[in-house]
Amino acid sequence: MDYDVLVIGSGIGGMESALKLGDMGYKVLVVERDPSVGGKMILLSKVFPTLDCASCISTPKMAATVHHPNVTVLTASEVQEIVSDGGGGFHATVERRPRFVDESLCTGCRQCEQACTVAVPDQFNGELVSRRAAYIAFPQAVPQKALIERAGTSPCTFTCPAGIKAHGYVSLIRSGEYEKAFALVAETTPLVGSLGRACYAPCEGECTRGELEGTLPIRRLKRFIADAHYSVTEPAAPVHAPLNGGRHIAIVGSGPAGLTAAWHLAHAGHRVKIFEAAPVAGGALRHAIPSYRLPAEIVERDIANVTALGVEIVTGVRVTDLEELRREGYDAVLIATGTPVAMRLGVPGEELEQVSSALAFLRDVKLGHAPRLDGKAVVVVGGGNVAIDAARSARRLGARAVRMACLETREQMPAYDWEVQEALAEGVELHDGWGIGGFTSEWDEVCSVELKRCTSVFDADGRFSPSYEESLTDTLECDVAIVAVGMRPDTEAFPVLAPEGARTLKADAETLQTSREWVFAAGDAVTDPRTIAEAVGHGARAAHMIDRFLRGLVLEGFEEPIPVVDKREVLHRQHSHSRRDPLAGALRAASDPTDFAEIEPPLTEAEARTAAGRCLDCGVCSECHECLAACPADAIDLGMRAQTLAIDVGSVIVSTGYALFPADAKPQYGYGRYKNVITGAQMERLLAPTRPYNTVLRPGDGRVPERIAYVMCTGSRDQTVGNPLCSKFCCMYSIKQNQLIMGALPLAEVTVHYIDVRAVGKGYDEFFEQAKAMGASFVKGRVASITELDGGNLLLRYEDIDGGGHIAEAEYDMVVLAVGVLPNRDAARLFKVEQLRLDAHDYVDEVDPDANPARTSIPGVFVAGAASGPRDIPESILHAGAAVAQAAAHVDRLRVLA
Amino acid sequence: MSRDVREVIREEPLRRSRLLELLAAGPLTVPELAAAAGHPQDEVMIWMMGLRKYGYVAEQPGVEDDGYCRYAVVDGR
Repeated sequence: MDYDVLVIGSGIGGMESALKLGDMGYKVLVVERDPSVGGKMILLSKVFPTLDCASCISTPKMAATVHHPNVTVLTASEVQEIVSDGGGGFHATVERRPRFVDESLCTGCRQCEQACTVAVPDQFNGELVSRRAAYIAFPQAVPQKALIERAGTSPCTFTCPAGIKAHGYVSLIRSGEYEKAFALVAETTPLVGSLGRACYAPCEGECTRGELEGTLPIRRLKRFIADAHYSVTEPAAPVHAPLNGGRHIAIVGSGPAGLTAAWHLAHAGHRVKIFEAAPVAGGALRHAIPSYRLPAEIVERDIANVTALGVEIVTGVRVTDLEELRREGYDAVLIATGTPVAMRLGVPGEELEQVSSALAFLRDVKLGHAPRLDGKAVVVVGGGNVAIDAARSARRLGARAVRMACLETREQMPAYDWEVQEALAEGVELHDGWGIGGFTSEWDEVCSVELKRCTSVFDADGRFSPSYEESLTDTLECDVAIVAVGMRPDTEAFPVLAPEGARTLKADAETLQTSREWVFAAGDAVTDPRTIAEAVGHGARAAHMIDRFLRGLVLEGFEEPIPVVDKREVLHRQHSHSRRDPLAGALRAASDPTDFAEIEPPLTEAEARTAAGRCLDCGVCSECHECLAACPADAIDLGMRAQTLAIDVGSVIVSTGYALFPADAKPQYGYGRYKNVITGAQMERLLAPTRPYNTVLRPGDGRVPERIAYVMCTGSRDQTVGNPLCSKFCCMYSIKQNQLIMGALPLAEVTVHYIDVRAVGKGYDEFFEQAKAMGASFVKGRVASITELDGGNLLLRYEDIDGGGHIAEAEYDMVVLAVGVLPNRDAARLFKVEQLRLDAHDYVDEVDPDANPARTSIPGVFVAGAASGPRDIPESILHAGAAVAQAAAHVDRLRVLA
Repeated sequence: MSRDVREVIREEPLRRSRLLELLAAGPLTVPELAAAAGHPQDEVMIWMMGLRKYGYVAEQPGVEDDGYCRYAVVDGR
């Protein structure tokens, strides 16, 4: 048996149970759902009728519980299930939720909280003020350790193949921290500017705001931070970094995968040299994506980030002999050569002078070698994004007509729909649903493209297998034909790494290691053509694995995100969502394009801040990494994961407390709509020593209230909401608050609207009389409704029984709803096989409350405190004593039997 | 129609710089700040209390005759 007794819940009943059992020598495990022990009592101002400080009573018990030698406390943990072991004891399953902060290192300094960029309602202050995603529950929390609220990975971040923390940089932009946002993206890749322009932004497709009025412009926000960074910094001069124990690494190819890998490896202390076959570095970024989408100078700035780390790039060097690199002293090699080989149609006439590949055409355009096409007709063959780029580039070179011919119908085209729309807006003609029969030329001038009707592109199994109706033909006359029907890796360059006939190089999907252990391969060379972001992700993975290989470590541990958060859960966190207009999609097309000037306008600072402000903080924590930078103890560990513990115990004490009545379930009182209507629990916070406003103020406008009304029995003794029970302590906490308010605000008038005051207990009635003597007014009768007046005051319509039973109205600055309590139904679901019986009101049933208090329907399971019904603090402590005695007796019986 | 409190609180980092900019000219009450910033008083109240909690602003001693506290930027913020 691991523990004698499992105590579920650490409110005053749970703490009392644990301490008493611990003092008696029993080994106790306390499991608390919240990040701190203390329950609700620690959040109170004072206790009645003595007006002793609640914190002063609670905090010693909290500390004693956590530090007791016989008591183990698991906070931020939940009991998942409890089953009988058949011998009088129980098997319990407990989940320890990750705090994402190493408790053994955290000093409770709150630097992470100060740095955190995500604000959420502070549930420990009645949602009257914010807290941060990284936080310590409240000032007296025990343990005084931070935790980070993570509901899951935000969809934008989760879907990014590059692994960029999209939510993180959006939250930093929202805070006005543009340089930090740039640095966050640069943790993943140096290609901030390029991705901000040319990424196809799968993040935006997953943005939860898209379920409302429209997605955030996440890609354009990335461009904004790149532009902001590059506008205030000069390209850093290349440095020759010291090795610091690093090794020599050769990277073949300087596209997104190669550059990203070099970036990470250089940061890890290695000396990296990139070999590029083309005359300039950048791969597809520099040679394939037209300047109107991605200006060359942006790519150059991104590349300068890499060379600034000491990475050397040599161009015009085609590597084919990997062994030679080995002999030259490189400890590892990464092949990241992309897909430089253009696919061919295999039709007659493809070798004509007028016919070229889109790859060659776009490269010549980007390098400034392409001839003008003024007055010429161009046919582009293909329906993908590269074909679109070629067609739009041809228009910019002066072509009088540009026609695209593709197998697919408009709807089936692999190009993104918006790209097709933009091409059409620029005057490109689309001939969809046509295959190519061949190219012919007369007098070596005009070229004819023979078309045949395509009836289907894919076979029944979804494989590419076009069918044609050969009798349906057409001809397109042109001066230039550009073929954009795919590209593939140059497998011939590394025959040892490419199995016979394979399109791609062979590498392990996880480690990216090839058949030669010192050779790795990444990007399109192993995946076939994918997106820039996917290549970046591959490059980062390759760098991680190469670094581990060089350090003699197992090739594993590349960052795995926590599961993606459920979008429905995100949307359900709020009762309503106000509309926040998305930025109108900027037209990225010119009707008669004449040059390669960038067509997408940048976001202004105001647009960027406003756009970032629409973020819903889906995962709560944005992974902006500000806490990592701020923590002086290196205690932040975002890699933590939940742990499931299997525990054997002799007895169980259920001390799960009560739930508060949701005040908005009485809509006639306006809670949630009228800002100056609050609950008694919220008033407790306004009066507590750690109060959020530092005095009692109206939440609606910050004014000191002069006339305050209490509405008693809100949600208790009320059949209309299904809760006929008296909550027992609402009268007394309201009377206590009356006295504290009159002490804090001597000019305030307090009026209590009540059914009858139940002041039963030693000194309770005297306490009631004391409140009246201090000036509190008591009006007998139900409140029918509350109406908000201009300026935030509140009009109460109520029955005045002692005043003759008439209906009256009175105006107040602020109204406090003395909400009742409800059963906490969570406890019953924990018990599998045997059912924990609940009473008629859904509290834990005490089977023999007169003779055997605290006993439940399951032998060995006992209940303490308000889990079995409304109880105030002294009663809860007393009841916990009964549960302790019962549990101790049960454990002793098990010992005797054993 | 008031907005969901979670939505309002989420905007605190977005509104911070503007509120601090306005307060830099001198201490203001919540209604004065709300009028200057062009936001509802209850939203400014919740943002201000967040800024207060995290040490950006502090209330000045005493309460004005109209029942409002004045808030000022804390030195160094």
